Amino acid sequence: MQMSLSPPDATLTVRLILNGEPVTLEVPPQAILLDVLRDQLHLGGTKKGCDHGQCGACTVHVDGRAVNACLRLAAMCEGQAITTIEGLAEKGQLHPVQEAFLVHDAYQCGYCSPGQIMSAVALLEDPEAATDDAAVRDAMSGNLCRCGAYRNIQAAIADARRHLESNAQQQGRQP
Amino acid sequence: MSEINDPAIVGHQTPRIDGEDKLTGRATYTTDWQVTGMLHGYPVPATIAHGTLEALELDEARAMPGVVDILHHRHFPELQRSPNSMKHGDQVSEVRLPFEDERIYYHGQYIALVVAETFDQARAAALCVRARYRREHDVRPGLLSGDAEGETVDDYSRGDPDIAFASAPVIHDATYTIAPESHVPLEPHVTLAEWHGSEPRLIVHESTQGIFYERNALARIFDLPAERVEVISHYIGSGFGNKLFMWPHAVATAAAARLLGRPVKTVLPRQQDMMSTGQRPASRQRIRLAADPDGRLMAIHHDSTSETSLVDRHVDACGGATPSAYACDNVATRQRLLAVNHGTPCPMRAPGEVSGIFALESAIDELALELDMDPLALRLRNYADHDPQRDLPWSSKQLDVCLKGAAERFGWAARDPRIGAMRKGDEIIGYGMASATWFAGRQPCEARVEIRADGSLLAACGTQDIGTGTYTIVAQAVAELTGVPVASIDVRLGETSLPAGPLSGGSMTTATALPAVAAATRDALDALQEIAVGPGGHFAGHDRASLEVKEGALVAKGQRAGFAEILARHRLGSVSGKGSAAPGGERRQYSFRSFGAHFVEVRWDPGISRLRVARVVSSIDVGRAVNPLAARNQVEGAIAMGIGMGLLERLEYDPRDARLINANLADYRVPVHADMPDVDVELLDYPDFRFNEFGARGIGEIGLTGIAPAIANAVHHATGKRVRDLPITIETLLDSPLIMT
Repeated sequence: MQMSLSPPDATLTVRLILNGEPVTLEVPPQAILLDVLRDQLHLGGTKKGCDHGQCGACTVHVDGRAVNACLRLAAMCEGQAITTIEGLAEKGQLHPVQEAFLVHDAYQCGYCSPGQIMSAVALLEDPEAATDDAAVRDAMSGNLCRCGAYRNIQAAIADARRHLESNAQQQGRQP
Repeated sequence: MSEINDPAIVGHQTPRIDGEDKLTGRATYTTDWQVTGMLHGYPVPATIAHGTLEALELDEARAMPGVVDILHHRHFPELQRSPNSMKHGDQVSEVRLPFEDERIYYHGQYIALVVAETFDQARAAALCVRARYRREHDVRPGLLSGDAEGETVDDYSRGDPDIAFASAPVIHDATYTIAPESHVPLEPHVTLAEWHGSEPRLIVHESTQGIFYERNALARIFDLPAERVEVISHYIGSGFGNKLFMWPHAVATAAAARLLGRPVKTVLPRQQDMMSTGQRPASRQRIRLAADPDGRLMAIHHDSTSETSLVDRHVDACGGATPSAYACDNVATRQRLLAVNHGTPCPMRAPGEVSGIFALESAIDELALELDMDPLALRLRNYADHDPQRDLPWSSKQLDVCLKGAAERFGWAARDPRIGAMRKGDEIIGYGMASATWFAGRQPCEARVEIRADGSLLAACGTQDIGTGTYTIVAQAVAELTGVPVASIDVRLGETSLPAGPLSGGSMTTATALPAVAAATRDALDALQEIAVGPGGHFAGHDRASLEVKEGALVAKGQRAGFAEILARHRLGSVSGKGSAAPGGERRQYSFRSFGAHFVEVRWDPGISRLRVARVVSSIDVGRAVNPLAARNQVEGAIAMGIGMGLLERLEYDPRDARLINANLADYRVPVHADMPDVDVELLDYPDFRFNEFGARGIGEIGLTGIAPAIANAVHHATGKRVRDLPITIETLLDSPLIMT
């Protein structure tokens, strides 16, 4: 008997929270989250660089954790909160990490930037993560930037960290 | 030509005008484009490197869900080749059309294109295409797998190097090799092709460094008037040379779209992108230096061989920078070419020269050691204060300032030249340095600038921004001449319907595009002034020459009228200016090059042979940097790529069958965040007005030259091991005399 490589025709229903909004999807069971975001939901900000989890361009947040969307089946995301680069700015205001990337010229071609930013935001929001420069460089090393804007990305992350911490302190002081 | 002295905006750090779009995901790259009814293409690569395709079994793939068609040698339209002329603007990367014959010339050559409704359907079906080959065993696995020398394609000489070698007291003679490297633009190659109308028009979205070259080539290949082909590339996920000229995937995709009557998008999978869209070819270089005991160079011989493919002829001219690098009366270079069973190579950032400078600047370091001289002093002793190749003055050369300034900032004087003498903790510190250089060129260019009724301006030029910051410098140039803020300037690039602009390559875009944009800006201002001094105008009766342009307004004798007011009074939506610019006679009077110096500190752990670049200090002389924020970023990025070239990057072809075995980003290693050292880049500011009114020579490539030899020289200082083969992997240092066993 020859094994068929044909995927099944049936689709699955997946409910998730996408950039804060509930979404119901019909997807084939083998559909990759990255392709569903880009081709089905028309969210092109999450980039396709290798489809193998080797470049980091497709980094999104799944329940707050940075994940390579190319290594994840859409069907695995039932009930989860997915945030993409399109969901980061609030009310047209750039997220402090995006703002810092702009000021520090932390990109060139910009293709890896959504992934870099999503990884950086997850890192800055992770209370367990070490904060020294070497630890940041290590944590960010899954996000390739072939243009090599690494120094500026690292400077932007450090700057955004200061900004977020000072925001948090100010909010702490308010009643 | 009026020099732009003391500029207000040009030469000042300017955040990119396209930055917010890139950082929010709004920027639409070619991979992101979607059009109604679009199909997805997925190529099938040959799994052998040399032989014949005997049969394709397609039944299983055809039966897969969503499959619409499969194109291949026996099912492909009759097309014409592109003439492949640089001069006529239709150069392509590979002249052979896709599926043209059944010969297999390299691993990864396309043997079919599966077209399906969705990307994953196309991929699934492509994996089910079966091919039967007849392998041939006289495979040519690569230059570095044998000792074949290839045919001579170019040579140069001055003086009589042979006589000098016969009498020279000190001779250095060594051979250097560089592994093939992959460009790895983060956005893979991608084409979206759509045909419209009964008199067909072809619209192609492509991630390309050269929209006009692709348009012209497609017009020849599909036998269309050029004006019926449009190529669009608004955002490009970088290129580094392998997106300069069109590859066969674009032809196959456009052919599929015509055949099927629907738009087709093909995004190359990363593996295929690395197999079939070019690489920096391997090179082998022999350098011979003759010197007197004081370190004066008496002769230089630079013999190079680089690879090409069996389908095309790409010459990576390694010796290009050598004849003008040092004051030396007797110089000879020779370039050979060897055809191998690899995909066709192509230019990769600082093509040729970066390879040649690795060999030459390593050899100069070795000569300094033989002479017991400081390598910096040896370079200054042989300083070429005019161009010895063309016997012309340099337009501006500040290499000595770069060398001395960077040495000072680096702390070169504190170097203990003894091998392994400098240590910190478990690591030995090595210092090395090298010079950097890249030619400065410019091309003809056209541009259009419109002044609009809302006070904003539009600047249009058919070049493209590959990430270097072209959008922003165009806005800066217009802002400089009009006083309108950068934020109010709408820059349009990346469409062949715009005035013809240059390739994004050769570090030539800045010097090529900005003078044309300036001319168009002046022409638009001229049109506005004509209206303003005419009947009913704000300055009716004034002499046009008396009008000044200030902050988006025309001003004369205390009277001021904004651009928008002038247009409104005459009920005009806009005025438009055209401009063009081209190199003139300056090249007959001067030689134009950029220069720089890199100083590198490596750390090497003799216990486990761990090697890293810890610090780089660079000074770069490119005339004026139009946007120092982006220009410094270019140099820092080039340093990262240079670390890859020096320590990490090597495409590996199996010596038995020429199959590429590491075409993925896990096995082919590019620098990551953790590899990035402390970097201190200084951009000198000596505007080169002999080159153009902005004084800018271009920045994209210079920073890569000289990094790899500076690393190799530092590695020798740390380890005592002279590594002449790139990349320098840690296992090559295990026989260092200093290794701890």
